[in-house]
Amino acid sequence: MSSLPRRIIKETQRLMQEPVPGINAIPDENNARYFHVIVTGPNDSPFEGGVFKLELFLPEDYPMSAPKVRFITKIYHPNIDRLGRICLDVLKDKWSPALQIRTILLSIQALLSAPNPDDPLANDVAELWKVNEAEAIRNAREWTQKYAVED
Amino acid sequence: MDSDIEMDMESDNDGEYDDDYDYYNTGEDCDVERLDPKRADPEYFEYECLTVEDIEKLLNERVEKLNTILQITPSLAKVLLLEHQWNNVAVVEKYRQDANALLVTARIKPPSVAVTDTASTSAAAASAQLLRLGSSGYKTTASATPQYRSQMCPVCASSQLGDKFYSLACGHSFCKDCWTIYFETQIFQGISTQIGCMAQMCNVRVPEDLVLTLVTRPVMRDKYQQFAFKDYVKSHPELRFCPGPNCQIIVQSSEISAKRAICKACHTGFCFRCGMDYHAPTDCQVIKKWLTKCADDSETANYISAHTKDCPKCHICIEKNGGCNHMQCFNCKHDFCWMCLGDWKTHGSEYYECSRYKDNPNIANESVHVQAREALKKYLHYYERWENHSKSLKLEQQTIDRLRQRINSKVMNGSGTWIDWQYLFNAAALLAKCRYTLQYTYPYAYYMEAGSRKNLFEYQQAQLEAEIENLSWKIERAETTDLGDLENQMDIAEKRRTTLLKDFFPVDA
Repeated sequence: MSSLPRRIIKETQRLMQEPVPGINAIPDENNARYFHVIVTGPNDSPFEGGVFKLELFLPEDYPMSAPKVRFITKIYHPNIDRLGRICLDVLKDKWSPALQIRTILLSIQALLSAPNPDDPLANDVAELWKVNEAEAIRNAREWTQKYAVED
Repeated sequence: MDSDIEMDMESDNDGEYDDDYDYYNTGEDCDVERLDPKRADPEYFEYECLTVEDIEKLLNERVEKLNTILQITPSLAKVLLLEHQWNNVAVVEKYRQDANALLVTARIKPPSVAVTDTASTSAAAASAQLLRLGSSGYKTTASATPQYRSQMCPVCASSQLGDKFYSLACGHSFCKDCWTIYFETQIFQGISTQIGCMAQMCNVRVPEDLVLTLVTRPVMRDKYQQFAFKDYVKSHPELRFCPGPNCQIIVQSSEISAKRAICKACHTGFCFRCGMDYHAPTDCQVIKKWLTKCADDSETANYISAHTKDCPKCHICIEKNGGCNHMQCFNCKHDFCWMCLGDWKTHGSEYYECSRYKDNPNIANESVHVQAREALKKYLHYYERWENHSKSLKLEQQTIDRLRQRINSKVMNGSGTWIDWQYLFNAAALLAKCRYTLQYTYPYAYYMEAGSRKNLFEYQQAQLEAEIENLSWKIERAETTDLGDLENQMDIAEKRRTTLLKDFFPVDA
């Protein structure tokens, strides 16, 4: 494997030295491009109290192309599907090489605070979020308790 | 001279023909075409088939013109022309009105740069700005970052000397290597004229000259230029790529309408406006809607309208393998219509009932279920006829082969020479042309609102349908080299076709 680009080294160092509140990203022992990520559910959101595990991978041409991010913990959210894939513009067409792991994870945290059912990935969840938001939020709380809270 | 020829033609139709002339007559109405073709022929279309080199020359001329007027680099001129459908006048006019707005909408400048308030009104200031944008070569200006001082690139996180940095009008500065890798990544994805600044949320466009300054690999440069050329052609309303497979020809016409262009190189015929198969009298949006609908419903439609039908008299199963709707059962010799299975005797007159679909007048009172069934029935009515003509056209080669065989055996038996029979091929070509138009009248009729205009359309459609069936029947049964009757039939069919097009083909030039 080719040596790690300076950019990745810098970003990793900064993530360790100045961590973002509520976000924890640690590179894998064997692969410096693979990060184990933990995002805590934002306050005043149905995901409050939850601890969500994600995986993040920096592809060969990073930062020219976006990192690949996926939820490992099950989550009830209109923009996140059963497999944990995330529908987020900055991970797709709005990606810019000037964005960083840190900014991407902040965007994901913001997505938990502000679900966007008009641009759905999980259709059934988005549908319920639109017609009966109260019930959808109840479901999201339930799932958070069931899958994202460790006893 | 002209009138002499017209006299000749007219006597043709009266049955007095000159054999020499008819051998080479394609069946077209030459006397009509001598008049102003724009008026006489509803399908008349002036266009040119040009090569990539021709087009490059044409586009470069426009670019140079704008350069001299606005005093800007060719690269920026291209961006402005791309954004304005290559209309020089529009660009210059907008530039004179509000140069700043022009640069912002063309994404040459970011929307909210703190510039002096004169920039939006004074053309001189904006022009100076354009000059600066063009000539500075995108190197981050010396005043902002002295060349001797090193700077960190936000993308690769490495520190480099200031002269390694480039930025657009937005001022987002990145190092040369990062720009280069970024451009190559974008080009690899097929993006060329739409490459934007690397900064987050910045939509300022990267002009051609910066890309070509930094990207040095010949493969990537070629790719970039190819993709950019495609974008330029697509943004130019008077140009259209020939849709033929691997064809390099570009068709140019100043009349931007849904007329038929035929490529000189690969002979593909297509609609100039939308690039799909030619579809007169239906217009581009309607044919698109219709084709989508057919693609969705085709399974059902195929299922319902099977490929075979039973003879209405003796009930023997018949597969249609030729063009004509006038069927004669090989078993009981009953003559009937393939579409409605009715007796052919009732179809002989000009009133060809079969192509008409009668709306059920009580539709509003029926239940939703019945309405749905009625909608499907209506769709199938048009779809069956559309599909039927499409199939007939696909069998054209077979029909011509059969024709050739028949002519061969006739010639062998001593009835006429090969040349005597050539007129049948002309007739078959005309038949295909008429059938093609007729096929495309069905989507048109399907989307037409009920009323007197639709009645008139369906009346003309029925007449065309009847004449085509007559012609088809006559071609398949031609027994002699006496072509007067067939010539008449050809003339009538073509007249019906052009009349229909004249009345209903939208000429929106």
